[in-house]
Amino acid sequence: MSAPENPRWLNEIGDELRREVPVRAAWRSQLLDDIARLPVPTAEDEIDDGDRDSPRRSASRRIVLTPFTSLAAAVVFCALGASAMYVALASRAPSGRDTIASRSRTDPSSTASWSATAQELVRFQLSAPNASHVALVGSFNEWNPVATPLTRDPATGTWVVSLRLPPGRHVYAFVVDGDVTADPAAPRAADNDFGSANSVVLVSGRTS
Amino acid sequence: MRFVTPPSVPGFNPVVMTDATLVRRVLEGDTAAFTMLVDRHAAACTRFAMRMLGNREDAEDATQESFIRAYRSLGRYEERQAFRTWLFQILVNRCRTAALRRQRRQRMFLVDDNAVALASVRPAAESSGVREELQRAIDALDPDQREAFLLKHVEQLSYDEMAAATGVGVSALKMRVKRACDRMQWLLREVSDVGT
Repeated sequence: MSAPENPRWLNEIGDELRREVPVRAAWRSQLLDDIARLPVPTAEDEIDDGDRDSPRRSASRRIVLTPFTSLAAAVVFCALGASAMYVALASRAPSGRDTIASRSRTDPSSTASWSATAQELVRFQLSAPNASHVALVGSFNEWNPVATPLTRDPATGTWVVSLRLPPGRHVYAFVVDGDVTADPAAPRAADNDFGSANSVVLVSGRTS
Repeated sequence: MRFVTPPSVPGFNPVVMTDATLVRRVLEGDTAAFTMLVDRHAAACTRFAMRMLGNREDAEDATQESFIRAYRSLGRYEERQAFRTWLFQILVNRCRTAALRRQRRQRMFLVDDNAVALASVRPAAESSGVREELQRAIDALDPDQREAFLLKHVEQLSYDEMAAATGVGVSALKMRVKRACDRMQWLLREVSDVGT
């Protein structure tokens, strides 16, 4: 039943969408067969790789707070805090330019590279002289392979595009003649569940 | 081993058994008790997944994966949390992954003109025109807003339960639900007098 404070139209929508979706008998049977093939779960089951997104026990169940663990936690937190401060100070060392990416790659041997040349403006480039079409897909353009084509420099065969990106971590890949490929010169993202690798660019948005 | 309807054994009355009790029975080795959990929650899970993903095939895949993962992780379920909320926590993640996977797959195919033409053909309507219009409006919401709207106004989870299921803070969820409602009202006003 819908909450009484909701407007009538919203309650009607909720009621309509709440209509039961029948469960197919064949689907149910298949599911139960699949489950029957699994080992019987126990309360002591260990976490395995296949359960990455399953809810886990809260930390309060696994960690018993004693005076010793409290002291140890305090020491660890202090050490982590000091490390974080050191890293933050080191990263703010004068660099002579406004860099938006957390790292800048200038490896001349790379066939592709990414770099940030101004705040929020990120340049993506890929050396693919034999490609006929290269596009950029990523979290910033909803992985749309037609949204951000790269332009080819006929002299070098390098494909280039520059984008203004908001601060944050952006996952992306190139689409080279229909094939998704990670940027060979950029850090790789974690497994994306799609069977192909992605790359990561970090945009700090920090003004120095 | 094959799952069947739980047998008539002393102390086994599935009608009055809570989800937590059924979970305990599974963990004690009575795996048939999981059938009851499937039967209690499969319809709601499939419904949520269908509203989220827009078609039955993807919805059934996501729901199936969720139940399998729930079964394997049953030892980590804590009774202080409703089993349904715990299950939705898994389902929400499965739907997010399925949506991303499908989005990427479709984006790839969209390069092909033939695929563009095919993509414009909507799948068979599941029922009435009203529900079709509603699903179309739901599809038009941003995924985050759609997820929050469905959990709140269709599955009727509390905001605390939604926060547990999605990993998103309560105030952000309230904002998403409000924006989803505003957008739904605007979308549906174009085809009816809803909200006027």
